[in-house]
Amino acid sequence: MTFTRSGGPLRKFAGIGLVLLIWQALATFDFINPFLLPPPSRLVVTFWDMLIDGSLLVHAASSLERVVVGFIVAAFAGTVLGVALGWWPAVSEQLMPIVEAVRPIPPIAWTPLAILWFGIGNAPSYFLVFIGAVFPVFVNTFAAVRGLDRTQINAALCLGAGPRLLITDIIIPASLPVIFPGLRIALGVGWMCVVAAELIAAQSGLGYLIQQSRMLLQTQVVLTGMITIGIIGFVMNAGMIWLERRLIPWKISGPQP
Amino acid sequence: MSGIDEIQISVQNVAKRFESRDAGDSVTALAAVDLEIFRGEFLILLGPSGCGKSTLLNLMAGFLKPSSGVILHDGAVVAGPDRRRTVVFQEYALFPWMTVQENVEFGLKAQGISQRERRAVAGELLSIVRLSGFETRYPHEISGGMKQRAAIARAIAPNPEVLLMDEPFGALDAQTRVLLQEEVARISAETKKTIVFVTHSIDEAVFLGDRIVVMSSRPGRVRDIYPVALARPRVAAMRSEAPFRDLVDKLWTSLRPDWRAETGDIVQPA
Repeated sequence: MTFTRSGGPLRKFAGIGLVLLIWQALATFDFINPFLLPPPSRLVVTFWDMLIDGSLLVHAASSLERVVVGFIVAAFAGTVLGVALGWWPAVSEQLMPIVEAVRPIPPIAWTPLAILWFGIGNAPSYFLVFIGAVFPVFVNTFAAVRGLDRTQINAALCLGAGPRLLITDIIIPASLPVIFPGLRIALGVGWMCVVAAELIAAQSGLGYLIQQSRMLLQTQVVLTGMITIGIIGFVMNAGMIWLERRLIPWKISGPQP
Repeated sequence: MSGIDEIQISVQNVAKRFESRDAGDSVTALAAVDLEIFRGEFLILLGPSGCGKSTLLNLMAGFLKPSSGVILHDGAVVAGPDRRRTVVFQEYALFPWMTVQENVEFGLKAQGISQRERRAVAGELLSIVRLSGFETRYPHEISGGMKQRAAIARAIAPNPEVLLMDEPFGALDAQTRVLLQEEVARISAETKKTIVFVTHSIDEAVFLGDRIVVMSSRPGRVRDIYPVALARPRVAAMRSEAPFRDLVDKLWTSLRPDWRAETGDIVQPA
C-alpha cells in the first residue's frame, strides 16, 4: 500500500473517522438506543475515566500477563515439538495422530476442564492460552523443518557442524521465516483465548471486566473493554511484525543502501 | 614434492541404486565404478547429465551411502560428511541468515575456534577470493559470482584435504564463469589441495583438470580417463593453442554419442 498519491498517511484514518462520525450522528439523532450502543463521545469519556482511575490498566495488565505466560510456554513447546516431529520421521509417526486428534478441539471447549483442573484465577487462563497458541506454532515449525533445504544441511555437515550447532545455527534460523508467522498467529489466538477464559474463569482481566459490566448493565464499559482488547491486539501484532523484520533481515528482498 | 602419486581417495567397485517403492522406478545411478584420486591432483568428472557424476561426488562427500562397494579416504571408509572433504555446490548453499563473513567462519565455529581467530582466517580467505569489503553483506545482496566466491572461501576455511566441487559454475553467466575458472586454477595452485570437480563443460574440464574422467550414462560408469598435458599455471591464452584445442576435440568425439542419446531422449518420448 502506498500513500504517496494524496493526503499522506491521514488517508489511512479517513475511513475509521467516517464510521465514527456516522455512529455519533445516529446516536445524537436518536436512530440508535444509546444504552444498547453508546456513542463514541460517551466511550471516549469512559475510556479516559477508566484510564485515569487505573482500573483499565489493572485489567489490561492481568490479561497481558496471562497471555504472555501462556504464549511463551506455547512458543517453546510448539517449537520443540515441531522440530522433533519435523526432523525425526519415527517420532512424527508416533505422535502426529495424537496431535491431529487434539488440534481441531476449540480452546473454548477446554474451559470446563481447565476450571476443574486449575480452579479460578490465572492458571486456567495460562492453560487456555497455551492450548490456543501451541498449535499454530507447532504447525508452522513442523512445516518449516520438513521443508528445509537438504543442500544447506549437507553444507553444514561437511563443514563439521555437530548436532547442537546444526540446531542453533542452521535448523532454527532456516525455519524462522516460516515459524515467525506462526508465532504471530499464535499470539493473536492466545489473546482471544485469554479473553474467553476470563469471561468464565477469572476475577480480573479485560474479559472479566466485560462480563462484569454486562451484569451491571454498563454497556459503555463493555464496549470500552472490547475496544481496549482490539487496540492491544493490534499493537501486539504490529510489534511481532516489527520483530520479524528485525530478526529475519535476510528475508527483506532487494539490496540495501 | 613427496607423495605426488599417493592415492588419497579410492573408489572401489561402487554402485549406487536409488530404490523406489515401485521396483520399476528404481534407478541405477552408478554401476561398479573404480577410481583412484591422487593427493594434490585436480580431477574432473565429465559427462552428460544423468551419468552419475554428481552422485559419485555426493558419495565421496558422504552425503549418500553406496549400495555396494566402498570409498576410502586415506585408507579409512567414508561413512558420512567430514570436514576433511568440504563441498562447493552449484546452487551455492550459502546460509542466507548469515553475513558473508559468518558464512566463511561457519566451519571454524564448528571446530570451536575463537571469534578473533575466526575473523582473521575469514578475512584472509575473503581477500584471496577478492571479496574484501563485502564481509557484512548478506548473500541476497551480492551477485551469483560473488556468492560462489564466498562459498569457495567457506569450503576452504576449515582447511580440508579435499575440495569437492559440484558443477560450481553451472548457474553463472559465461563471462563470470571464465573469470572464476581462472580464480579456481589460481587457488588450486596456491593451496595445493586435492580437487574433484564435476562439470559437463569440456572447455572447463580441459582448462582446469590434471586428469579428466569421462563418464557415460545409464547406468553411470567410468568410460575413459584423459590426462591433461598442459603446463601450469593455466592462463586464458592457452584456450586458443593447439594442445588445448586437440584435447577438446578428442573429448567432443568421445562424448558425442552420449550427447546424441541425451537429446534424442528429449525429442522422442519413450
